[in-house]
Amino acid sequence: MLSRQAKDTIVKGLIYFSAASTVGILAVILGFIIIKGLPGLSIDFLTRDYEDNTTYVYSELLETQEGNSTEGYSERLGITLDFDEENGLVIAEIDKDSPVRNALDGNDEKYTVKKGDILTRIGDLRIDREFKELDSKDEKAAAEFVQKAIDEIDAVKEDSVRLRVVRIGGGIVPMAVTTIYMIILSLMIAGPVGILSAVYLNEYARPGKIMTTIHFAIKNLAGIPSIIYGLFGSLFFVQILKMQYSLLAGALTISIILLPTIIATTEETLKSIPKTYRESSLGLGATKLQTISRVILPNALPGILVAVLLSIGRIVGESAALLLTAGTVAQIPHALFGNSASGATLTIKAYTLMKEENDLTSACAIGIVLLVIIIAINVASKLITNKFLKKKGI
Amino acid sequence: MDNNMGHNEVKPDSVNETDISIQYMKRNVKRDITEKIVETIFLLCALVGVLSVTAIIFFVFYKGIRPFTGEDAYSIKDFLTGTKWAPSENIYGIFYMITASVLSTAGAILVGVPIGVLTAVFISEIAPEGLVKIVKPAIEILAGIPSVLYGAFGLGVVVPLIMKITPEVQGQSLLAVIIVLSIMILPTIVSLSESSIRAVPKKYREASLGLGASKIQTIFQVVLPAAKSGILSATVLGIGRAIGETMAVMMIAGNPTAGMPESIWSMVRPLTTNIAMEMSYASGRQSEMLFATGVVLFIFIMLVNITLIKLTSKAGEK
Repeated sequence: MLSRQAKDTIVKGLIYFSAASTVGILAVILGFIIIKGLPGLSIDFLTRDYEDNTTYVYSELLETQEGNSTEGYSERLGITLDFDEENGLVIAEIDKDSPVRNALDGNDEKYTVKKGDILTRIGDLRIDREFKELDSKDEKAAAEFVQKAIDEIDAVKEDSVRLRVVRIGGGIVPMAVTTIYMIILSLMIAGPVGILSAVYLNEYARPGKIMTTIHFAIKNLAGIPSIIYGLFGSLFFVQILKMQYSLLAGALTISIILLPTIIATTEETLKSIPKTYRESSLGLGATKLQTISRVILPNALPGILVAVLLSIGRIVGESAALLLTAGTVAQIPHALFGNSASGATLTIKAYTLMKEENDLTSACAIGIVLLVIIIAINVASKLITNKFLKKKGI
Repeated sequence: MDNNMGHNEVKPDSVNETDISIQYMKRNVKRDITEKIVETIFLLCALVGVLSVTAIIFFVFYKGIRPFTGEDAYSIKDFLTGTKWAPSENIYGIFYMITASVLSTAGAILVGVPIGVLTAVFISEIAPEGLVKIVKPAIEILAGIPSVLYGAFGLGVVVPLIMKITPEVQGQSLLAVIIVLSIMILPTIVSLSESSIRAVPKKYREASLGLGASKIQTIFQVVLPAAKSGILSATVLGIGRAIGETMAVMMIAGNPTAGMPESIWSMVRPLTTNIAMEMSYASGRQSEMLFATGVVLFIFIMLVNITLIKLTSKAGEK
């Protein structure tokens, strides 16, 4: 038999090993996502649309003044063109008074051409075809390629020219916007319902059948996995209520998922407000409603805020339920429900990138964004808890 | 508010005494009605939770039971005992999925619970303050990481590692699922165990130490047995999380269309991933069968939920 001391040392070693592996695993996960995702992360990734966007625009042309001959500068459009090995002719600089800033698209609506856009066609000159035939290693040919485009602009006799502009995608803007929409919409639904439920449970309900039933239901809700919520949402909201894959179907499904968190967190806060607050308010002649709206809720605000933050974290991280209710299209939803209301959140896109396009780098780049959000939420809710709840000695 | 609180302005010998009291009565009636309406609104909100659970159970079961009734009913026995899922041939067997779910959950509990409980012991009993400040936030972040990112981690780290040692051709396997699930349930296990360990009265420890037991002996023979019910709840909650996890598992399980898992190296297809994989394009019978899969999953979850609620209410009674 081992001596007691030896046994204790072994067990202690095991305890240290467990704690170390918990922290180590987190470090490995974070490290993996950051190392894998960092090459995919860039300003373009964060600010661009997901799909490439091709638009025909009409731009007026300025009068030519002879003499200015900086390389790659087109006087008539007031832009500097450059050669890009991947995409061809890129707009590198746009003058302040350049007419392309006020270009019109096919529907006569204003389309502002931006720095970084690619020109694939000027008038009848198919730049994309020229680019295909070009040997991109040949610097001289590249310069000639740019000059040819400028000459083509200069040669236009009318006072406007038709350009085909491609705005390169590859960014996550639509998913970020969808995520924000989803957060706002879900909180608008689940927030009031959850908070009022908690108020009812803590301030009105007397122990009895109703209260037990509600608590039982909420505890059960908390235990249901999100795939079941997704199944329900896809049947009830998407099919029966005919919302199709949409923002609203997703938000309603998520709202149910959020309810237990919001109710439990708010209830906890309400419970921590001393009874004397209520008694003083009621004693001063205030009604129950007045007591709730002017004494209880203001005091519960930090706790409610924490509930909201936790909910945001949950929405940002949610995937299985949204996959079955909001769809996987990389676009900004144009409506709440119906045909063009579908949209993928950041998390869903990270998943489809991995699963369907085998693009672990972009998925991890989104992962970095998600991690930043989640850590920020973590820190914020901790600050609130420390600042407001602890100070009061609650 | 001001109007309602003006009782003390009423003078007993005022000429309009009756008028005023009638006025107050009216106001009180109005106030009472408002209070009643508001209370009803609050109650309705509180009932949304109940309504949701009922609706979820009703719709999932309604759609999930349909393929087994009516004229061309599918045999429930074939469904529950079959080991092949081939919607195009009208074959729907989920026994190998149930097995996969149970095995991966059991594995995750076997690995995750000891590590989690020991980590909780570390945080609450032996770690110096400085280390607690590292370990605790780490667990909170671990809890916040979305399951898709656990999937990315599984796909990018765990699966390639298994590739190197597996006798099979692929790294997607039961083992990969178990590893990732044990990590995913860690935060639940640690935080719940920790709070139940902390709730054990100091007296217990002092008495044990006073009798000459070592610190480690005290922890394992006094503190942990006293915190048993909390740790048990944590385990049950962990089971619920593991059996319901979808997205992370989907990426690393391999999801074969048939075959019982033969070893930890075999590919598996838990119940959850079966639903998530095909739901987006399924229709008719296939869609109903996915709901039926959901019903089976739901029954497991309800068992877990009820056990958990029983456990926690028992602990509450103490």
